[in-house]
Amino acid sequence: MEFIDIVLSISDGVLFGTTYALIGIGFTMIFGVMHKINLAYAATSIGGAYVSWAISTLVPLPAILVFLISAIAAGVIGWLVYLCCFRLVPLDTPLTTLLATVGMLIFIDEVVVHETDGMPQPYPAIFDDVFFEFGEFGLRGDLLFIFVLSFAAMLVLLYLLYRTRLGIATRAVAQQPMAAQLCGISIERTNASTFVITGMLGGLAGAMIGASVGVLSPLLTLPVTVKGLIVTVIGGLGSIPGAIIAGLMVGAFENLFLALRGVTERDMYVMLLLFLFLTFRPGGLFHRSALRD
Amino acid sequence: MDFLLGLTQLIGVHTILGLSAYVVLLTGQVTIAQAGFFGIGAYIAAMLTTLAGWHIVPAMLVGASVAGVVACIVGFPALRVKGLMLVVATTAFGEFVRLFWFNFDYQIAKGEIMVGPEGGEGFKQIRYFPENGWTTGDVALFIWVILIAIMLALWWMDRSRAGAVLRAVGEDELAAQSVGINLTATKVTAFAVGGFIAGIGGGIYAHYTTHIEHANFSVLLATFAIAYPILGGLTNVTGTLFAVVFIQGILVEGLRFMGDWRNLLFGALIVVAMNVRPRGLIDERVVMIVGRAFSTRKGRADA
Amino acid sequence: MKRSWIIAPAVVAAAMLGVATSSVAAERTVKIAGFGAKSGVVRSFGVNTEAVMRAAADHINKGGGVKLGDGATGKIEVTFDDDRCNAEEGISVLRRIAGTDAVVAVGPTCSNVAEPLFGILQKKVGDAGDSGVQMPIFTDTAIKGGLAKISDWAFRNVPNESEMYQKLFAWIKAEHGELKTVYGGVEEDFAHSRFTWHKVMKVRAPEAGFEVVGESKWLLNDTNFATQVREMKKAKADIVAISAHPFTTCGVLKEMQRQRVKPKLLVGLTSSSSLETLQGCAKQAEGIIIPTSFAPVTPAAKVAADLSAEKGGSADLHSAAAWEIMMVLKGVIETSGVTAKPDTVQDDRRKIRDGLAALKETEGLLGTIQRTAEGEAIKPYVYVHAKGGSWAVLHDPGS
Repeated sequence: MEFIDIVLSISDGVLFGTTYALIGIGFTMIFGVMHKINLAYAATSIGGAYVSWAISTLVPLPAILVFLISAIAAGVIGWLVYLCCFRLVPLDTPLTTLLATVGMLIFIDEVVVHETDGMPQPYPAIFDDVFFEFGEFGLRGDLLFIFVLSFAAMLVLLYLLYRTRLGIATRAVAQQPMAAQLCGISIERTNASTFVITGMLGGLAGAMIGASVGVLSPLLTLPVTVKGLIVTVIGGLGSIPGAIIAGLMVGAFENLFLALRGVTERDMYVMLLLFLFLTFRPGGLFHRSALRD
Repeated sequence: MDFLLGLTQLIGVHTILGLSAYVVLLTGQVTIAQAGFFGIGAYIAAMLTTLAGWHIVPAMLVGASVAGVVACIVGFPALRVKGLMLVVATTAFGEFVRLFWFNFDYQIAKGEIMVGPEGGEGFKQIRYFPENGWTTGDVALFIWVILIAIMLALWWMDRSRAGAVLRAVGEDELAAQSVGINLTATKVTAFAVGGFIAGIGGGIYAHYTTHIEHANFSVLLATFAIAYPILGGLTNVTGTLFAVVFIQGILVEGLRFMGDWRNLLFGALIVVAMNVRPRGLIDERVVMIVGRAFSTRKGRADA
Repeated sequence: MKRSWIIAPAVVAAAMLGVATSSVAAERTVKIAGFGAKSGVVRSFGVNTEAVMRAAADHINKGGGVKLGDGATGKIEVTFDDDRCNAEEGISVLRRIAGTDAVVAVGPTCSNVAEPLFGILQKKVGDAGDSGVQMPIFTDTAIKGGLAKISDWAFRNVPNESEMYQKLFAWIKAEHGELKTVYGGVEEDFAHSRFTWHKVMKVRAPEAGFEVVGESKWLLNDTNFATQVREMKKAKADIVAISAHPFTTCGVLKEMQRQRVKPKLLVGLTSSSSLETLQGCAKQAEGIIIPTSFAPVTPAAKVAADLSAEKGGSADLHSAAAWEIMMVLKGVIETSGVTAKPDTVQDDRRKIRDGLAALKETEGLLGTIQRTAEGEAIKPYVYVHAKGGSWAVLHDPGS
């Protein structure tokens, strides 16, 4: 194993980690606002990508439009998830919403399987033929694009949260729901809009995952869910920059262990490392809400 | 008939798995590690019966004890974290156990074939039941005797001081601590008991399916482990059994006449169930109604 | 709310019993129970097998049905159950089938279901001390090597990969003498692909005179293959053999294109010679050579493919085996004196088992299929390659 190989592996991992980061941002935002886990989030993202794929098979569209449709579709699915799993369920039973979202995850996955027979479907990509090379060192153009996109998404989200009325309402509900309600903020509308916004972000993430892999498959949902959760907790619950850094880190470590120990042991070490990390730093990287659940 | 007995076996094993998560859930902890403990019990019990030629009962007890001890060891660090952090920490541990079996090779020659776990190929030919002439009915009876013993033990525990302590921790940690309950001891005990029960379930699982592989003990199984008690309700142990019957008996087997719609309905009906019965199938109201029905009947008999 | 609690269990009970209490048919029917995965990522297996089985049953019934042991004629009736590719559910389905008057079961589609399923069957026929289920199973899709020997009641009609790859590598050596080295890529956590690389390709390639210069491993739901392909690039092998299912095969092929890894020849896994690979990455898969036991090259195979398409499924290397199985079963039912009466179900099952065990060769869609003593098949096969977005026959070793 030469040094350059390890550098290459890690740089690939970091770039691929951007797709984990995008999913992590969504998880962390929902958690930040509602203090609830939405396990159907990754399914929402992949579901959105599937809708856009279905539309692109009917009418030929440029890749950018397909991604946009994915974001819109996932926003709608996100809203449906809110209606089915959160709207009618009492808020003091966190386990109930947890299980309801598991049901939703299975449901979305099965709808996809039903429509495609579970077969992998080709997904359009942009810059996928661009490959930057510097001697032995090389970087994938499409992943660099996703990298830039996820930072853009983060900036837009931060702008939304800190510079708009919607953002003020969202943060108010996140911090003190009762007080926010007394100020005339509708908790339900705020929560619903959080789901739509994170859903749209997820749709974009789903499209990016589809584009970077080149195919969509229901096989993606479960690993993306697990990776998204991991990224969320490593980054620190509710921290958007944390989620991005954690996403890149997870990608890097994954590829490092892959290069050093091979694929069969890769995830074993990643999981062990994660377990130790959480034990010694239970609040995540960005220690904001260590003892809140 | 054979089919119904087989389904009874399956329901029994899954209820044991669900009960293992029930104990931990009572303390307010959501654990995704149960599939890992289930797997430990399965692999160890199966190795003892097929490789060492043990009787199934001691083999299962050893498997379950190892699972319990591992759960105890994991319990200490894992319980530093709560909520979503714990979900992910236990997921990590459960996956670690699964991947351990994925990399685990230990085979010995038995006759002309090699037996024992073989990494990703799985562990085949765990034929203790058929080789010793146990019929489907025998196995079902065996499973249900164990299940009822576990349910009675948990029922008794629930009504004793231990149950009150577990629930106190689950309801409000701060309040529990302020009345002198040792949080760590309580949570770690719940974890260890949960691990032991899951290990028993795994031991049976390995023998009634005759073939196990790492993929059986994935996050999906762990999710079902917590889904049963949540869906059933945490009021008492019967909820978990009802939930398993609902999922395995109704959603999986009962809806077969729906053809392709069965798959779609599976997830959808879980969502519906949680909306209609947010506190579980057997919630406090149901317990109260059933309890009243029984007490009035008794009252009439007395009169 | 309360009423639904009474109704729901009643509906379920009725549904469960419904299977057992089938109405008395005017005409004698021979029930063949198919099962396999119709949920999850491998749904296409079950969909195809079911369509092929139904098409074959129609074909047989239109030709006059089957002649039964007592001179009567019977029509074949096919049922199909979903096992979700889950071991426990597969076992449940088999027990359910064993409780009906089906005389033989066809399935499952997943190797990880087949293995435990064969384990609960009686191991040695007639062994009174073995309480395993006594039901003949004839498998069309679950392909992982050497499973039928688990039980005397298990039979398979799946390609013998060991033989196919042996001949394929020998043929490549003869055709392209200049190629010397082979590099393997394997989906390490999927029973079938793992078996095929480690126990078939890796063994057969050196026998044909190739040198195996390395291997890369990845997992079933991996999405990033940069590191593995880099290893592959370094080995500079003439041939790259990929033992993986379409989803990761496509991922790896795309990464190879990106890193400009261009082996002189690509070899794929039998299961990837399906529509899925072409749908996922026709461009990158161009030229990949795969041995397969089905291609619509004979008139019989064309008929099977067309009729199956009418039923909404495609006949591919897996599901076409179900067509052959139905034809073999028709023959066995006719020669072994099955009567298909409600009170002879267990006898009929034993007769079919014995009939299947006695077969030395059967007629397949591509030619004669040899049957081994262990209940496995040695099927004729062809080499196909991806060409312009479809599979074309490259060479027929039988001709």
